[in-house]
Amino acid sequence: MEFTWMIGAEAGAGSMVTGRTLAKVFARGGYHVIGYPEYPSLIRGGHNTYQIRLSDKKIHSPVKKNDVVVSLNRNGIIFNRDSINKGGVLIYDSELDVADVKMPEGVNVFPVPLKQIVEQNGLDPRMANTITVGISLGLIDYPMDDFFKLLEKEFSRKSKEIVDLNIKAAKAGYDYVKKNFKGHFPIKFKPMKNNGKKIVIGGNEAFALGSVSGGVKMFAAYPMTPASSVLHYLAEKERDFNIVVKQTEDEIAAVEYAIGAAYAGVRAGTSTSGGGFSLMVESLGLSALSETPVVVFLAQRPGPSTCMPTWTEQGDLRFALHASQGEFLRVILAPGTVDEEFYLGAEAYNIAEKYQIPVIVMSDKFLSESHFSAERFEPGKVKIERGEIASKLKELKPMERFERYKLTRSGISPRVFPGTPNGMHVATSYEHREDSFSSENFEMRANMVDKRARKQKLLEKEIPLPKIYGKKDAPISIICWGSQMLPAVDALPMLEAKGIHANVIHFSYIYPLPKKIRAMLKSAKNTLMIENNSTAQFTGMLKEYLSFKPNVVALKYDGKQFFPEEVTKVVEGAKANNFKKKVVRVVDEGEYEYYNPAAYSEVR
Amino acid sequence: MATLNDFTVKEKPQWCPGCGDFAINLAIKNALAQSGVEPQNAVIVSGIGCSGKMPHHVRAYGFESLHGRVIPPASGIRLANQELTVIGVGGDGDGYGIGMGHFIHVMRRNYDMTYIVHDNQVYGLTTGQTAPTTQKGMKTKSTPYGNLEEPVHPIPLALTMGATYVARGFAGDIAHLTSIILGGIKHKGFALIDILQPCVTFNKLNTYEYWKQRCYKLEENGHDSTNHEKALEKANEDWKTNYDKIPIGLFFKEDKPTYESELPQLKVPLVKHDLKPVGLEEAMDEFI
Repeated sequence: MEFTWMIGAEAGAGSMVTGRTLAKVFARGGYHVIGYPEYPSLIRGGHNTYQIRLSDKKIHSPVKKNDVVVSLNRNGIIFNRDSINKGGVLIYDSELDVADVKMPEGVNVFPVPLKQIVEQNGLDPRMANTITVGISLGLIDYPMDDFFKLLEKEFSRKSKEIVDLNIKAAKAGYDYVKKNFKGHFPIKFKPMKNNGKKIVIGGNEAFALGSVSGGVKMFAAYPMTPASSVLHYLAEKERDFNIVVKQTEDEIAAVEYAIGAAYAGVRAGTSTSGGGFSLMVESLGLSALSETPVVVFLAQRPGPSTCMPTWTEQGDLRFALHASQGEFLRVILAPGTVDEEFYLGAEAYNIAEKYQIPVIVMSDKFLSESHFSAERFEPGKVKIERGEIASKLKELKPMERFERYKLTRSGISPRVFPGTPNGMHVATSYEHREDSFSSENFEMRANMVDKRARKQKLLEKEIPLPKIYGKKDAPISIICWGSQMLPAVDALPMLEAKGIHANVIHFSYIYPLPKKIRAMLKSAKNTLMIENNSTAQFTGMLKEYLSFKPNVVALKYDGKQFFPEEVTKVVEGAKANNFKKKVVRVVDEGEYEYYNPAAYSEVR
Repeated sequence: MATLNDFTVKEKPQWCPGCGDFAINLAIKNALAQSGVEPQNAVIVSGIGCSGKMPHHVRAYGFESLHGRVIPPASGIRLANQELTVIGVGGDGDGYGIGMGHFIHVMRRNYDMTYIVHDNQVYGLTTGQTAPTTQKGMKTKSTPYGNLEEPVHPIPLALTMGATYVARGFAGDIAHLTSIILGGIKHKGFALIDILQPCVTFNKLNTYEYWKQRCYKLEENGHDSTNHEKALEKANEDWKTNYDKIPIGLFFKEDKPTYESELPQLKVPLVKHDLKPVGLEEAMDEFI
């Protein structure tokens, strides 16, 4: 059982919130749900959409096609009409001037007099969203109790009257469709009995919860799409979580607040996107040389520069890998799911503290801002490991300092926090001796470089092999990193339906890449890499560090992530070509444009 | 109680002979000893520049950050553990040039910390370029035909941005400098201490003699440091008299709640919190 629904409206009309609420309704019904927003960078006007895809089986990604499209504006019809499956429904506001708009064929076109319904029921015009949810639920015969409960949860803070009016609006929509829909729409379903405990959460929120589970106590950030909701969410909850959240004057300050707090002994992190990460670059080196842990969450969007701020890309990988002057050890993680955002997000703080290094957690707009149903996270499963911290120290002689940077075999020297007697030292951006005093002695310099680099050995032991989704010995392997496992994994059943057997090899530990991974990649038969960038950055890393080269590389860099249908097509094409064509370019079709005067008059 | 010796390290600072930094170093150690703070409870945070070497020459905890980035890690340290005495040390280039953004904003926040700026009107460690506080017309390596810019005036700037302890010292008077640094350490809130400090190698205009002839002490002239308007008047006196009369000492002091004191999460310092997360289960309920 599958169903896909989309609402489209001008920005500011509230359709994003409505979409998310409906996603929760279906998750409460036991379904697996994906909520997928698209929006341009403006506050009012333009065109926003929110897609819900649900299934009784585990799903991971939005798809290109919809069964039902609800449109509260003209653009919503023009941009999305071709996405509607044959036999699907286009619901739109009959007040819209659409005489010149070509309607999709083979689809139930269902205009609804939203203004009239609002007036007849004494509603607020802003409740048009709620009416359309009622209409949609009526169309599929889905009971409304969970929707009512959620409306109450959402609006009871405002007033009982608003709750009641919204419920009335939903009912009015439901009744309207029952009376007036004369077409045929076969998809009908009810809540499943077995569940109702799933959460519906975005990648950023999952990372935020992971951070708190991982013991974060200070989080500093500067707003930047698509990372801002980490800041918003943690700021809203800072008192409940008993942590300090600070919006700083810029990203340089944000990362340095975190580094300062970490030096003083608390777990600390920051979040940003590529532009802000650019400002944090010098401080990554400070973290590395002073051996002060820090976690930087980097939610990517297309670049360079401002570019397409509300869309998605995996273009910052090489930047994250090499950012800052000099040479030093860092770890890059890239969660693929909200579960990984949570558990790997928490683990990032362990790695940062145990190895006293910067850890970069890479997400992107797609994973960060989409919503996914998931089993409730279990904070109890998160183990906090702080690494070596010295607390009872032997007495220092007069004028002597603590040997904070002791040349140890593992490369890890015990940390000590200010306030600890006999631990006085300087955490320094300057090269130094074991007792932290600045040094330009050549042997000491070389020894310190080696000491810091030595940590990689121990670290690599902890890095797990990439995860395989599907059958281990499948004849085709789709390789991917970070969020692109979502469409890749959902392409597997589509391929299976065409008689093509494949699996997905997914990397969430991106760097370092221990040699042990090589055997696994070499044993894959036909390999196809998908990357959401134009220069195959991770492909290059696999070649550099593991001497591995996939047969085919599919690249998409138009501002959107891969869709399962596209992955399917790419794999099919590669197979038909005996995996000979080296590089495939994937671009979205569709009439969308941020500013589209044509959309306002198709004929005139 | 810790003494001056407890704050002293073996290594002699490698500043130029006669540099004002020696005096500032001694005044910081004196003030720390007099304040009753133990070495393990003090953190000296610096940027990069001649002043940036300070943490290595005070036996306390230290954090030598990047050029211009004294305030942000110092702020992070305060938020993590408000039981520490945090002293930021930077230069005029560090604090009023590249780090100006942080300087402006930290004053709005009133964290309890002391920020000492070595104000020598020139870039020293990079061998003598113009600084934000270089006087108009002065020739430097990067302004060989004379500096065309008006200097930054840190004292009136601090007064208008809400700093709650604003003082200026002179590196030629260690006893006086010690007393205003001590006042800054004891003050519950953000203290700016701008220090007129001759760069004996690269600044041939603003010498010890130059300052000695022009500086006078506010304390000896009946200045009321609780009066913001009078403080502003005094703060602008140097440039308004074409640097004939330069007041030093405490311009202004007021008691205001610190940022830290307004956070209920800091009833106990963050470093002492149990790392076991709270509120997560309730938070997850909201996603259903």
